Amino acid sequence: MSTAYLRKLKRALTGSADTPLVLLCNFEAEAQWARHHVGLPVPSGGPRPVVAAMEELGVLLAGADDAILLSRPLDPDYRDYLTRQGLALPTMLVPENSRPDRSTTANVLDSPVLLDRLRQLGAAGAHLLPMGTTSDEEELARRSGLTLATPAAAVVERVNSKIYGRRLTEAAGLRPVPGVCCETRQELAEVLSHHRLRLESGEPLVVKDAYGVSGKGLLVLENPARAAQLLRMVDRRAARTGDDRIHVVVEEWLPKRCDLNYQITIARDGRAELDFVKQALTAQGVHQGHLMPAELSDTQYRQIEHAAGAVAERLSADGYHGVVGVDAIVGADETVYPVLEINARLNMSTYQGGVTELCQPPGTVALARHYPLRLAAPLEFDTVRRALATVSTTRDTERVLVTCFATVAANALLPVGAGGPPEPFDGRLYALLVAADRDRLHDLDRAVQAAVTTLSVVEESHA
Amino acid sequence: MERHEIVENIRAALTEVLMRDFGPLAEGTRLFEDMHLDSTAILELLMALEDNIGIEVDPENLDMDDFRTVGTLTDFLERARKVSS
Repeated sequence: MSTAYLRKLKRALTGSADTPLVLLCNFEAEAQWARHHVGLPVPSGGPRPVVAAMEELGVLLAGADDAILLSRPLDPDYRDYLTRQGLALPTMLVPENSRPDRSTTANVLDSPVLLDRLRQLGAAGAHLLPMGTTSDEEELARRSGLTLATPAAAVVERVNSKIYGRRLTEAAGLRPVPGVCCETRQELAEVLSHHRLRLESGEPLVVKDAYGVSGKGLLVLENPARAAQLLRMVDRRAARTGDDRIHVVVEEWLPKRCDLNYQITIARDGRAELDFVKQALTAQGVHQGHLMPAELSDTQYRQIEHAAGAVAERLSADGYHGVVGVDAIVGADETVYPVLEINARLNMSTYQGGVTELCQPPGTVALARHYPLRLAAPLEFDTVRRALATVSTTRDTERVLVTCFATVAANALLPVGAGGPPEPFDGRLYALLVAADRDRLHDLDRAVQAAVTTLSVVEESHA
Repeated sequence: MERHEIVENIRAALTEVLMRDFGPLAEGTRLFEDMHLDSTAILELLMALEDNIGIEVDPENLDMDDFRTVGTLTDFLERARKVSS
């Protein structure tokens, strides 16, 4: 049986709560969109295996009538564990020609047997729901006969730009984070020159790529020397390529009480709903997890509701429908900046909607996060399960649920250094924790952290 | 500049960017896994290295593999110095 959350999502995206979906959790979509734009000068490099393995998070969103495309099959013990938790799992579809250096979309496009199966699902009315739609997923929809549940890639790409998001925020009369958009080297130079005094007084600026992939494409400038250095790098690139474009936003670095993430679902007819508001845990711009519900006053919540309506109205007018995650912040003075970034795609928190409906009773609090691991060899799921069984959940409402296991050993797929013994590698264990209140949730989090630490190898510290 | 001096400059740049003191670094030390360098800090690290070593680095000429270890980054900086000089 599907969750009410999933049925609502299906109704908005496809017109019917019963439409079977084929999910594809293509976390690399942002990198695809970024290819058409000029950002900060950063080294090239493909997605890391652990990010690709996060596609498994989609298993918990999909229902029993749905299917999910995965480059690697779900671990059988983890699958049994999820079933024992009472979750109805989707059909897992694994491309017969799967290579770790390719996206799942590319693997599926190279797998005729799976494409035939998808054509059958398409003929039976299934829709394709990618995390983010790029031209690759459009090609997959075309070749498989699946109806795309999202707008065209060009629309999705356009509305995911941070420049688009800033302009929408200003046009809608919402409170923007103080800052500006730049599209050329000259505009960037003028902005940095304008803020020289600010930088000299030690107040930082942050420069963000219009299409910055999480954890990349962000630079904090703390003094005028670094600003000048950035411009020199941009100039050298412009001289080399003959292209002086640079698509970034430059914003003041605001002191904040917390980050927020809220989700809106915009139906094809433009009707929109605020699905939830969560507190986002970040470290240096990189997502760490979500606390739910967020700690907001009634007034602050109403400001978010108002912003959600305004954002949805403009996105709909620009041809977008589907899931939208919006990042926002609450300043140290409790001022709400309701739009820091618009992510017109499925978000990390989107995938939590089903399990929180099933596992988080009203009045309780939950934490969805990942726990870092350092491993010498891949772990069996049962080893993880036994370690977590040592965490005492003292009340009926308390839960610790593993929400993604493939990320634990994904980096074991990396080639090791030539000739030497296998090196320890990093992994992530994703989990959802539920408790009666924040204090108990904090205790549970520490207990899970301690249990996960016992799974890691002990290494000499370099700090 | 000798290779060990480049390694020492990498140590100094990491100290500046990560705001932590480090002892001597082995060339096999991995920047992400062992030093906990974050990808958001890469551009900052390159800027600090430009200052310390006196070369110009075009980040887009680098591949993320160049950041695997202190040794691979040293290899890149040695190549960049030869091009600059």
